[in-house]
Formats: sequence, C-alpha cells, structure tokens
Amino acid sequence: MTNSIHHYDVAIIGGGPAGQAAALVLDQNGARIAVIDEQQRPGGQILRQPPQEFAMAQSMKGKSYTSLKSQLRAFEALNRCDWIGGKSVIGIDRSGGTVDLTLASGDGITQVSANRLLIASGCYDLPIPIPGWTLPGAMGAGGLQALVKAQAVVPDGRVLLAGTHPLMLIVATQVIAAGGTVAEVAFDQRQSFLARLLIKGAGTALRNFGLMLDAASAWATLRRAGVPVTFGQRLSVIEGLNRVSSARIGKRTVHCDAVGLCYGFLPQSDLPRLAGLSVRWAQPTGGWAAEHDGWMRSSVSQIFVAGETSGVAGAPAALLEGQIAGAGIALDLGLIPMDEAEAIRRDAARKQIRVSRFAALLDRIADPTSALTALRDANTILCRCEDVTIGAVETALIQDSDPNSVKLVTRCGMGTCQGRGCEHMLLRLAAHKRGVGPNELRGFTSRFPVRPTRIGDLIG
Amino acid sequence: MRSQADITRGMPVTIEVDGQMIDSFSGETLLAALVAAGHMRLRNDQEGQPRGFWCNMGTCSECFVSRLDVTPVRRIRACLITVEDGMRIATRSISYD
Repeated sequence: MTNSIHHYDVAIIGGGPAGQAAALVLDQNGARIAVIDEQQRPGGQILRQPPQEFAMAQSMKGKSYTSLKSQLRAFEALNRCDWIGGKSVIGIDRSGGTVDLTLASGDGITQVSANRLLIASGCYDLPIPIPGWTLPGAMGAGGLQALVKAQAVVPDGRVLLAGTHPLMLIVATQVIAAGGTVAEVAFDQRQSFLARLLIKGAGTALRNFGLMLDAASAWATLRRAGVPVTFGQRLSVIEGLNRVSSARIGKRTVHCDAVGLCYGFLPQSDLPRLAGLSVRWAQPTGGWAAEHDGWMRSSVSQIFVAGETSGVAGAPAALLEGQIAGAGIALDLGLIPMDEAEAIRRDAARKQIRVSRFAALLDRIADPTSALTALRDANTILCRCEDVTIGAVETALIQDSDPNSVKLVTRCGMGTCQGRGCEHMLLRLAAHKRGVGPNELRGFTSRFPVRPTRIGDLIG
Repeated sequence: MRSQADITRGMPVTIEVDGQMIDSFSGETLLAALVAAGHMRLRNDQEGQPRGFWCNMGTCSECFVSRLDVTPVRRIRACLITVEDGMRIATRSISYD
C-alpha cells in the first residue's frame, strides 16, 4: 500500500450525473472534493465518453442528453476538484473518524480519506438468466450501448435487441448509426399494454417530452431502416455453438450474431451494503436501493447517497438528487447557511415531482416480473461465476429457503462478481418458495474487497 | 466492427492476444479491441462451454483476461483497461498446456 493518503472534505464515488451535480454545488461552496470512478473519464454510463484520443462528431445526439451534457462540461471545467478515474473503490472504513476509502486499479492500491462520502455509483443491466445468456455475443443492452457510444465498436453481424425496457429503441438506432445491423427490436409486452399505460400516463409522458421525443424519433429511424419492432412475443432461448447464432422470439427463430438484453437496471448496492447503509428492495426491477432522508443522508452518519444508488429513476432524477446531496453535505460541513441549502433543495425537489412520475411510468412499462417468472429453466446457469444452475438453486431451496444458506450450499453468489449477477434471481426464487416478497428476505452480505483485487496488492 | 461514421481514432496500437497480433487504437478499451477483432469468446466455463462479456462496465467479471507483459502477470477486466502498444494478453478460452 502507498503511505500517502490524500485527504478531502468530500469524496464522491461516481462521476455520473448525480456525482457531478453534487460536486458542482460543493465546489461552489469551497469544498475540497475528489471524484472517483472506474471509468477513465467523467460522464457515468449515460454520458460515457469516448477516449480523449478520439474525435466523434455524432456523440450523443438527442434532446434528453442536452442538460446532462452542459452539466458535464461545467464539471470538467472545475479546477479544484480532483478527478480520480480508472480506479475502483473496494472498501469503506469509518473506524478512524473520517471516511477512508481503499481504491484498486491495475497499478495497485491507493487510499483516499474524507470527512463526508457521497455514494453515487449508479446502476447496471438487470442480469437475465435466459437459456443461452452465457453464450459469447449475449450481453446487457447497456453494455452494448456503452461499446457503441463510447468506443464506436459494434458486434459483427446482426444484433437483436430484446426485453421490456424502451431504452432498446435508442440503443438500436445507435447501433445503426454506427454502421451496425439490427435484426429486430422485440418487446415482451403486447402493444395494447404499452398503449394503455402511455394513455393513462399521457400527461406525465408529455411533460417529459425530451425523452419521449427521443423514443419517437428512434422508432421512426428504425422504421426507415426496415428494422422490425415487434410486441407480445417473448424471447425464450438464445442459441449457438461457440457464439450466438439465433434466438427464439415467440414461435419464430431470428438469426442473429449478438443479443442485447434490455429488461431494466439494478442499483449498484455493494458499497452501500458494505458500509452498513440500510437498503430496501427496489420494486419492480429488483436489487437494493439505499434509503435516505430529505437531504440524501443515508442511515449511516457521514455517508450520503444520490442517483441510481437510491433507486433507479433515470439521469434527470439522479442529477436533482446530486444537487440535494451537495447542499446537504455542504450544510453538514458548515459550508453553507441553512437558507441557501434549503433553496437548492426546494428547487430540486420541485423538479423531482415531474421526473419521478415519469420514472414510475417507465417502471410500470418495463416491469420484468413476468419475463423473470417465465424463466425457470432448470438447466440454465444463474450464477455465471460459479456455474450454478437455476435447477441447483431450486433443489437447495427445498431444504432451506434462506438465501444465504443456499449461497453456501450451492456457491451461487460466491464468485468474483459477489452476486451482482445472480442475487436478485435467487431472492426471487426464495421469495416465491416462501410465498413472500423479496423485500422480506435478507440479501447477500457484501464483503471487502467489493471488486476483484489481487491479494498481493492488498498485503504488499 | 469499428464504426467509420464521423470519427477520428487515436494512434494505431498493436496488441497480442492468445499469440495473435490484433490492431487497435490508442484510447480503446481492451474489450472494444477484442470485439472489433471478432474475439467474443473470452473464457470457458467448468463444462468447457464458451463465455463472453456481459456488462462492459466492470461489474460482472466475465471479461477477466491475463496481462502477460507485466510482472507479476495481472488478471484484469478487459472492459476497464485501455490498450497499450506491446500489451500481451491471454484470454481463458484456450489451454496453454
């Protein structure tokens, strides 16, 4: 370990919309800040930036990106704020009075210490244990999108997008714009179900016209490109020998070389749980969202949360939570008078009403519950790290329906990803067995280091 | 496949993957270089079945490969690492014995 520990007023984990918003408020009030992110450059997944060495003219068009991009530019212009990119936070320790973070990267271990911590670590693609999802070429739609928009690389051949989340319309157009081929965009839901929700939520949808416009223009682009957008026929199997070669959509076989699975997103919850923050099961997509008060204070002193960490609600909501967290931390540190903090909070909270209604509408539209209920194929691998099948988990559940016991017996969740891939499904299966909701179960215990780290780096 | 639409990449970089030379560009992630080269199979599971990357954002651990040109050899997540000239990588999809 290195001996030099940098100390800051505030450490922010995550350089996405929430982390940036908090940093801007805190910097304005004189705080010394470090922002840490696994990516090399700021932006988060939503604005994941091309490498500095690249020049991309088409980068992230669309109305919904406009205010996010201007915030990113403002954040990058901050000169007192330390950007620590390309490093993973693997541990949080509060025993010394400050919040001490252990960071890992290809270069080894470093440490950062701060008086307050904001966890704004975002979300990730809902892992969906569909037969064939472990084949090379099957990937999360968010992962596919990041490849296209930040690296301008598209998987070879025909790309199928399947799932429940409307984001896949946008990912499909980005694949086409990059010169790729989209085989089909297949929604699980019937068109009439989507229409009914959109009509019921029409007011909400219209007030969020930026995103709606992006989705509508995506649809028009796909139509012009001759890409079928289908509804009500569920993806049931992905097939292939050495990589994806086809998929079953309803009763049809669709030839494709890659599949982007798009069923929603789970909060990154390993750091909140490692630090002992209280969390709640996030309906309907699943995963654990960190609980907080009106200032985004978590249940643990000195630690705040913002953005998808507190429940997946989209980038505009994350940005507002980041502003509130920034004001809350500044208030806590005595950097800002109450009335100023309150003004920031009130302004953001007012805007939150609109975006949270839209997030709730999107949650209802993209609800993966029925897709996940249909996926009970005993031979399909649920835990990708330890090769544990759904059948093995179901067998273990007959003996003991406690998720942590099943983890010990089957090794489901004991691999390098620490259960990020399988925990949600194991909890769903266990809850089903007990006849309760997953919210009534205890999730996996998060352990140091929360990202795979070389042992030699830790003891060296 | 690399998109050619309105884009200028970094300087050409050559890396070695499982003994084969792969063209890449400065700034690219190792995973992007692998996908562009059609190298989707990154490991085999316990039953010898092929595996590829899943998340491309550091959470799933499926894209772990070994970096051979450093001492000691490091296991790295290909999606989080930027290519460097002379990088030598072994995926876990072939056996070396």
